[in-house]
Amino acid sequence: MDSKYYVTWEEYLAEHPELEGKPIKAIAPKIEKYEDAVFTFIMDLLL
Amino acid sequence: MIDAVAMTNERNQMFRDLFSGKTPKRVPISNPATQDFAIQYAGLDLAECQWDLTKLEPVYDKFCQDFITDTYPGGSIRIPSHYQILGSTPIVMSSSGFMQHPEVVGLLAEEYDQFIASPYDCIVETILPRLYTELNGEPGKVAMALAKAMRAHSDDLAYLGTIRAKMNAKYGYAAMAGALTEAPFDFMADFLRSFKGISGDVRRYPDKVAAACEAVLPLMIKKGTLPNPSMLGYTFIPLHMAPYLRDKDFATLYWPTFKKLVETLAGMGQNVQLFVENDWMRYLDYLYELPENTIMRFEYGDAKLVKEKLGDKHIISGFYPITLLQTGTKQQCVDKAKELLDILAPGGRYWWQADKSVINFESKGPVAENMRAVLEYVHENGTY
Repeated sequence: MDSKYYVTWEEYLAEHPELEGKPIKAIAPKIEKYEDAVFTFIMDLLL
Repeated sequence: MIDAVAMTNERNQMFRDLFSGKTPKRVPISNPATQDFAIQYAGLDLAECQWDLTKLEPVYDKFCQDFITDTYPGGSIRIPSHYQILGSTPIVMSSSGFMQHPEVVGLLAEEYDQFIASPYDCIVETILPRLYTELNGEPGKVAMALAKAMRAHSDDLAYLGTIRAKMNAKYGYAAMAGALTEAPFDFMADFLRSFKGISGDVRRYPDKVAAACEAVLPLMIKKGTLPNPSMLGYTFIPLHMAPYLRDKDFATLYWPTFKKLVETLAGMGQNVQLFVENDWMRYLDYLYELPENTIMRFEYGDAKLVKEKLGDKHIISGFYPITLLQTGTKQQCVDKAKELLDILAPGGRYWWQADKSVINFESKGPVAENMRAVLEYVHENGTY
């Protein structure tokens, strides 16, 4: 999905260099989970 | 004493068999009545219970106790709190407590190109602020409204999920996960262009309608994707606009992206349940083309013709007219259930559901008693 309001983990990581050296395996699913939660909430407002 | 775990296992197996095209032990049943009905049946205030969800556990317990079903009954996707916080215009509570969807226009005809260029950006920047008043204002206030609404929605879903888990544990329902999405054309119609708007667009701007459906397809796929696709889950897709289209408009504007949506979801290994609203009898050859074991719950039409044309490939459901529960005698209601069992059950691939949901309960009316009789009849006589 090409949108400024939805970022993939890879895009997010590229925008946040401060995460280098952090526990990426633990961080990634959490960031993705809330990105998707907002997407689902937004879309549910139109269903 | 009910052995709920054993019942869940048995029901799970029935649905695994049904969804994979095998003949199950018996015809699975889903109670057609909704949470709205359950609240009224318990004698409580509809509006108050939807705001104060703590009142719902005894409501569901009575509902589950009194009406046999294989899947968790009720449920609601229209919980009022977050709609109120956001200043919703497309979903509003009526004076009687029912959540209703007035005709709205979220996208203007001159905004098609903006939508086609980036549907999700257009939704966030243009459509939602038009439809939800609290999302149209100062950025700080918008952020606060969105945060409050998401928290309210999350809390409400978590609470309803707790009730559901308790009822599943007590009554042994099948453990099914679900997702919701729409055919791209229906998505463009329902909250964006409106019934009236899209009906004019198919004549005035058919190319833009087609392009918009293609553009929004990835969002519809993502919205309909289950976190963990399995044989016990399904994506629910209610179908709206096709019966109101000319055949050629259906073929060029509705069908292509709808077919891609269903094929993509099925390709991920998940089931798809279509709610085939209104009368689709002129589109049965199209429906046959969908992936094997697509679940199709029909509202109107010829059950015999559907069984004949689709029954060897797809899973058929619906057709039972809930209006009969209001107008018919108990015997007439049971006779109708028998008629549909005789037509649709042979060979499997049949899930008993009604043609639409039962939302209204009148304490002196016949619906509850007739519905109980029908559910019990199908449960006792649907064994293979």
